[in-house]
Amino acid sequence: MEHLKELISRFSCAYVEDYKKIWIKAKLNSKDDLLDVAKALQTEGLRSLSTVSPTDFAEDGIMEINYFFEDLDTKRNLWLKVDLPRDEAVCEIESLTPLFASANWHEREAYSMFGVRFLHHPDLRDIIKSEDFRDKYPFRVDFDWDAHEKETVANVQQIVDAFKKEQSENEVDLESDSSETILNWGPTHPASGPIRLRVHCDGEEIISIDPDIGYVWRALEHLVTKKDFIGAIVAVERLCFMDNINSMVGYAMAVEEIAGVTITPFASWMRVLLGETARISSHFMGMGVFFNNMGLHTLAMWNMDTREFFLDFLESYSGARIATAAIEPGGVRYGLDMRMFDELQKALDKFDANIDEVEAIFVKNPTMRMRAAEVGRLSADEIHMFGLSGIVARASGVKTDIRIDEPYAAYDKLDLEYITQERGSARDRFVMIFEELKSSVAIIKKAKQHIEEAVANGEMNPTKDHMVKVPKKLPKGEAISRVEWARGEVLMHLVTQEKAKSPYRLKMRAPSFNHTMMLDYLLRGQTLSDIPLIFGSLYVCQGDLDR
Amino acid sequence: MLKILDFFDYAKSESLWMAHFCTGCCSLEMAAAMGPRYDWERYGYMPTPTPRQADVLMITGLVSKKILPALLRTYAQMPEPKYIVALGACSFDGGPYNDSLAVIKNPTEILPADVFIAGCPPKPEAIIEGLEAVKKKIKEGIPSAASQGGLWKEMEF
Amino acid sequence: MSELFFNAFVFPGLLYVLIWTVGLFWFFRKFMAALHKRVGPSFNGKAGSYQTLFDLSKLLTKESITPDGVNPYLFSIMPLLAVIVAMLPSAFIPWMDSFVVIKSDYGLLALVVLIGIEPFLLFLTGFGSHNKYSFLGGIRILTQAISMETAFVLAALSPAILFSTLNLSAIVEQSSWFSFLVLFPGFILYFIALLGLLEQPPFNIPDAEQEIVFGFYTEYSGTNYFLLQVAMFAEFMAVFAGAVTLFLGAYKGIFFDSYLFFFLKMLSIALVMMTIRAATPRITLSQMLNFSWKYMVPLALLNIAWIFFAKSLWFMGA
Ligand code: SF4
Repeated sequence: MEHLKELISRFSCAYVEDYKKIWIKAKLNSKDDLLDVAKALQTEGLRSLSTVSPTDFAEDGIMEINYFFEDLDTKRNLWLKVDLPRDEAVCEIESLTPLFASANWHEREAYSMFGVRFLHHPDLRDIIKSEDFRDKYPFRVDFDWDAHEKETVANVQQIVDAFKKEQSENEVDLESDSSETILNWGPTHPASGPIRLRVHCDGEEIISIDPDIGYVWRALEHLVTKKDFIGAIVAVERLCFMDNINSMVGYAMAVEEIAGVTITPFASWMRVLLGETARISSHFMGMGVFFNNMGLHTLAMWNMDTREFFLDFLESYSGARIATAAIEPGGVRYGLDMRMFDELQKALDKFDANIDEVEAIFVKNPTMRMRAAEVGRLSADEIHMFGLSGIVARASGVKTDIRIDEPYAAYDKLDLEYITQERGSARDRFVMIFEELKSSVAIIKKAKQHIEEAVANGEMNPTKDHMVKVPKKLPKGEAISRVEWARGEVLMHLVTQEKAKSPYRLKMRAPSFNHTMMLDYLLRGQTLSDIPLIFGSLYVCQGDLDR
Repeated sequence: MLKILDFFDYAKSESLWMAHFCTGCCSLEMAAAMGPRYDWERYGYMPTPTPRQADVLMITGLVSKKILPALLRTYAQMPEPKYIVALGACSFDGGPYNDSLAVIKNPTEILPADVFIAGCPPKPEAIIEGLEAVKKKIKEGIPSAASQGGLWKEMEF
Repeated sequence: MSELFFNAFVFPGLLYVLIWTVGLFWFFRKFMAALHKRVGPSFNGKAGSYQTLFDLSKLLTKESITPDGVNPYLFSIMPLLAVIVAMLPSAFIPWMDSFVVIKSDYGLLALVVLIGIEPFLLFLTGFGSHNKYSFLGGIRILTQAISMETAFVLAALSPAILFSTLNLSAIVEQSSWFSFLVLFPGFILYFIALLGLLEQPPFNIPDAEQEIVFGFYTEYSGTNYFLLQVAMFAEFMAVFAGAVTLFLGAYKGIFFDSYLFFFLKMLSIALVMMTIRAATPRITLSQMLNFSWKYMVPLALLNIAWIFFAKSLWFMGA
């Protein structure tokens, strides 16, 4: 850590300071140093770039770019800032993509949303945003949304025209007598969900894939700035509904850090309990999708059966099966009636009764092994290079789990261990989900027991302890928080202004973005049959892909 | 003769197949409605892989600007008679995304729905009840709303 | 004349195939649902037994879309041809003692050839659909058919060699418990090849929903799709009936011979097929090719050798 700090100090910085336990926060004086710093960091071992997040300070005329570098092995992280002029003509900086492959799409996103141009980027095209925003930068503070909104019909027409144009140009470059063609895999496709892969293939063989995303783009990061701090959880929760609790936890932590409140032990244990419940419900879907994509629906159905019981618990606690909005800055939203644990117990019993069967039939399935044990392999180096996280990283043997690296809520009181697989193939990722499912259930059991004991001997009051007050107006500040989401690392970067009633900027770094970026890399030279399999094994959710 | 025609009409109402198209998070609850606890197949609903064989288009929640053309196309690809069911708050007025300008606030003005199902997301029971309402509509011989009007007729896609 | 009419339209012709389609479709859904821990169709009729009837009748009343850019004749004639060709094999099957529509000494050949033609018709449906996914599905079905049919034919020939006849009725008459045991390896091979021919998991590669939408079915709607469905189930029937006739002694029963046993035997094959369907994911085209040429065909040849051996040992005198 000290070494890293010293290394940064060699460059001209406005400040270099410690931040939280495993972060260093620094600001470069000049953007010209960026490439040198990045090179130095890479040799130092910080090989992953988590995300690139611009913040638009319109009043100062500054576009501040935040880089989050991570070292997944030694857990040393760097938060690097650099200022750019805000003016569109000169808002440009060296691209880090040649050094950090993971920067690729993140820089494209920053370009499409804020108009920051990255020099020497190999492929700086628009991403996510729809065609009607071409040459407009929707996340800039001075973008006139209302004027844009008035033109809805023309805008949609523009999207249609662009799509038609793309289709007509699709095969112009291809020789007419070759068997090469371009397939649109999605968005109306049984296995795709709202995403479109432009698959350039030769018969069955894939030549390249260009994912076209943004079909469920809701501009969440912009939407939160229109809401107050409590209202924003509605948007944050919809990052992806499969595991909504943990994304709310991340947001709540960032708000609490700026407000300077600490939550009660009861609330932190509840966050663990609810978070793992949501993780389980997500993992159930993930396992089901993996097999669905190989044409077998049985596992999805069986999982759905068990999942319902966990949703029952969420429903008894919050009143909603999925859209729980159960985590709020300051704690958890509702008190706990101990009878709600009966529902949870039912779910756990159901889980225990079924899990062996699932393991025997599906996890050890020989056909599945034959099909998936060799495809989509990722080595540990590639994980670092592409900044992958969550089950995808752990399936390749990389020991990274934010619950352990940077414990939040009550995870530091639980003795967790890294669960990893070795080979990093599609099958390993599936087995990884399964193993994690089991460990989540173990965590829930522990948390439940702890809460029950603490309530019994009067340390916790389940109906009063759930919230501490968070002021409606927050001071100027900024914070980052990371949570281990069902799919991997979610990094929230929250910026507030003086006496803020609503977030000024909230960057949500979601794992599916990086995972989808891998599709082209993994699928080149494979066959069409591997698309759904690898897509399913990467455990992508379109919600957090587009945000 | 009349009897036979009646039979076919009845068959039409009792067998609804869904086009496979998810536009928003409501599709999660649609998956739950297919699952063992709610099992909509009991009522004869079934998802089909291609819109060519579908009777019902489910607008599962939000419709973003980018996906709207694809939605209209899917609708156009379906064979007559076809019905539209709109799920969730989003498809009614934008729901929680009402303030977001990447989302079409009132997709059903463009593609009028026969049945709205309330909720965010609607519970599986509600989805099944909504589909039963479609059946009733077909039995009563009410033509589908989208065939009667809607902006989609004026749009090119 | 009236007998021909009966054969063509009632048994084992059109009506029989339709009833079989409705019934088997229902049975598949119900059985699949049970394996999924669901109920399946249940509110229309007893245990939802009218559901598939409604489904199929509905298809008849729907609009049949002919997409832009296709050859309308090819597009619409193919499903009809597919149905007819799929129904033809049943004319050669000895459904009951002394009930064969076309008595032929070469029944087995006719059966194998007619079953073998079907995939080519389906390929043409995909080819004529003017859709990339349909086309891919068509190519896949062709590839699969060619590689699977070799093993299929070799396996189907084993009873013919054993009993030295191509006449299906004669094969059934000579079959016994003992011959069933001798033919058992052949039956297993036939069954695996059957999964490939009928595009059932793990060989459901041509209509792999998740990969290529619905393969050659993608563009079909309404009546045309109905015809393709019927063709599919008629094909099921032909292949199942082939298995039952060749290996399982057709109508021969325990105490008495009757069509009932024929039916039960077909049903049990369907059951095994569905169970495999519920527990096996799909493999890839190249794995299928590998499997069929590296294992299936050599094994089928070995099986023939075994049949010759067995024949010289036990069946020579007969
Ligand atoms: S109604 Fe709610 S659940 Fe449905 S798409 Fe909208 S936000 Fe998602």
